[in-house]
Amino acid sequence: MDYSSTARARTSISTQVYLIAGLMLLLGVGALWLFVTGITDALMHRAAGADFGAVLLRYLHVNGIILPLIELGLGLYLIRLAARFLRRDLRAAMWVRQLLLWGVVASTVFVVQALGSALATQMAATEAYMIPVIGVILALTLTYAYLWIGSNIEKFEGQETLAESSARFAWNLLVPTLLVLVFVALRPLEKTFIASLTDQRFAAGADAEVNFVGFDNYAKLLGVRWDLVQCTTDDTGACAVDESGATVFPRARDVLDETYRDLRYREISTWLTLGGTKLIFSARDTNFIGSIGNTLMFTVVSVTIELILGIFIAMVINSKFPGRGLMRAAMLVPWAIPTVVSAKLWTVILRDNSSGILNAGINLIQRTLGLPEESIAWLARPETQIIAMIAIDVWKTTPFMALILLAGLQTIPADIYEAADVDGANRITQFLRLTIPLLRPTIAVALVFRTLDAVRVFDVFQVVLAQKQYSMATYNYYTLTNSQQLGYASAVGVVIFVIILLFTVAYVRILGVSAE
Amino acid sequence: MTTMTAAQSPASGAQHPGQGWRVARRVGFWFIIVLILFYTLFPFYWAFNTSLKNENEVFATAYLFSQNPSLRNYELVFQNERFVRGLFNSTLVAGGSTILALGVGSFAAYALGRLKFRGRLLMLYAVLAMTMFPQISILSGLFSIVRDLGLFGSLSSLVVTYPLITLPFTVWTLTTFFKGLPSELEQAALVDGATGFQTFYLILLPLTAPALVTTGLLSFISAWNEYLFALTFTTINPSAQTVPVAIALFSGQVQRQDPIAEVMAASVIVTIPLILLVLYFQRRIVEGLTAGAVKG
Repeated sequence: MDYSSTARARTSISTQVYLIAGLMLLLGVGALWLFVTGITDALMHRAAGADFGAVLLRYLHVNGIILPLIELGLGLYLIRLAARFLRRDLRAAMWVRQLLLWGVVASTVFVVQALGSALATQMAATEAYMIPVIGVILALTLTYAYLWIGSNIEKFEGQETLAESSARFAWNLLVPTLLVLVFVALRPLEKTFIASLTDQRFAAGADAEVNFVGFDNYAKLLGVRWDLVQCTTDDTGACAVDESGATVFPRARDVLDETYRDLRYREISTWLTLGGTKLIFSARDTNFIGSIGNTLMFTVVSVTIELILGIFIAMVINSKFPGRGLMRAAMLVPWAIPTVVSAKLWTVILRDNSSGILNAGINLIQRTLGLPEESIAWLARPETQIIAMIAIDVWKTTPFMALILLAGLQTIPADIYEAADVDGANRITQFLRLTIPLLRPTIAVALVFRTLDAVRVFDVFQVVLAQKQYSMATYNYYTLTNSQQLGYASAVGVVIFVIILLFTVAYVRILGVSAE
Repeated sequence: MTTMTAAQSPASGAQHPGQGWRVARRVGFWFIIVLILFYTLFPFYWAFNTSLKNENEVFATAYLFSQNPSLRNYELVFQNERFVRGLFNSTLVAGGSTILALGVGSFAAYALGRLKFRGRLLMLYAVLAMTMFPQISILSGLFSIVRDLGLFGSLSSLVVTYPLITLPFTVWTLTTFFKGLPSELEQAALVDGATGFQTFYLILLPLTAPALVTTGLLSFISAWNEYLFALTFTTINPSAQTVPVAIALFSGQVQRQDPIAEVMAASVIVTIPLILLVLYFQRRIVEGLTAGAVKG
């Protein structure tokens, strides 16, 4: 009764400061607790007699690297922030306020998600709605704290400079992007790398034992060898010859050393035959090695054709003519449709008898020339399958390439060509000495993006060829979903990642692409 | 002064242009234009043509024109529950992830394009690296995360993972756009006493509307066309499949081996809205696509 209103106000203010600082401290300690329990859990396994490699793997398998680092960093930061907040530091108060706002957002998302799953699973009412109710209480508390700091900001000391407040604002705006970066890109990447060192499978269930297998997956995936095989000799000691006159060779697995058989090497192709000796190329996973070959072939050929055709088309439509806008729109259409649709379109066009329009056309030409009618089974033979893949990709992306190059062409001022005309340079010289060098930056960017796209080609191969022939991406997909070999499929993913990284580094070095 | 670039102009050609030579060049030029158009558009004509055929015609020798066209395949396609559901799902997923990408992306782009802070260049490189990020190589990692979260086989698994595809270029394009706006805007807002968020939300964001439309469109198209994640994460649940998956796994109304005509009808249906979008927004799309390529 006898204390004044100002005194009451002061006590209540410090109560709230203590409460909010306590909340921050609690969250910080919680984050550190998570970090520490991760380590102690691993140490307990070490004490239980597991060897160091297994303990480390277990730790990585359960926690990864990114999450513990975030826990540690966030924990230390929050504790420091709480201390500064207690000292009534204005800058700390502003950061606390921002964190509270994100806390409100997070708990709201949590409530919505919990409500959704409660409605979906139709659990007993009390259990199902406990979690959302806790979420709502949390959200309201955080909102109150947020509003309180906002209206009592003058109680804090110090000043935030303009640069500091804009940096704080910038990081706040970046929070959602950082979340996506960490949880949809980095964390899966890390999981893929870690899983690639294990024999993890899906079918085995969540609690099944996961063994650390080192680089076994990679050894199997990339195991290749070259061997010389001698021909089968007949009674006279000369090479045996079959009816067609070809030299007879024994099966590689019958004549080569035991590891060839034990590691399940299989012959992919013969590289060279010299008299009674041939050089054979074998791999442990012939499908994957084949998929690397297919993908590289696909990439190099399709990107080259697209670039040449693209430059040609871009130069043609760079002149003004009626209907140019419509033409550009028409050229965008192949790019805009789903690759699945374009793959389906082309399987119809490429049907292997005269019901496919391409073969009908070929037959027509053959008839006119008086040749025997012969259809090509485009999608049935291994050699033409890859050609078909390239044709579909070229059709779908050349117009896009042309439009990008056209935009580059349009930045070249016309008077350069007029000057060249005056100097008497002919068209070819102009093209080689002016157009190509000036277009170089555009070509560089288009090449980088197209190549990276082509290396990870999936849609066309999956839709048209399924498991007849693989690209690296479809092989990854099938090892993951058909055989559920998470560890092995992850190794495939890592190899693809490394190959794409090599392409990127090579391009950046050769063409000098920069970020700004 | 001619606006045509001399190297490609069809008419302002050779040193001594005779009348006949000029006509020949014109004809040659239009011949090439028609050839290019034929190459780009013929497959669509062929899909349309095939979609009008009946089962027997599909397997008979191909002719350029359909003998007795009918719209029966379209009827069948719209009765196909999987396809209709796919249209609905695709709209939901592409729309949802586009809104997500634009919201999150414009935040980040404003920070990267207009604000100065330590770590800005690092973030810029991180976003650029993400645009080149090979989705396929993290497929198994993402697969196990999606499974652990209990999202496997649900539409949300796609809405949550598509930002990996749509966000990087959204941030990249919008950052370039924000950078291009005059710097007096914030100063004026600051003088008027607006907070940082008000400046962003009330003054700069409305100015980026054209760029938002372009990037939104590009992100919608790429989400609509996405196949790898859609196939991997929804194989177990046909009711969550998107259009590309529905078309790829299309099975006809009647049990038979290969419902080509129906698949073509479905393809035509999916393609038409995209054609309309492209025709209407042609200039914007080309600008959006080439923004990075030409200036970058």
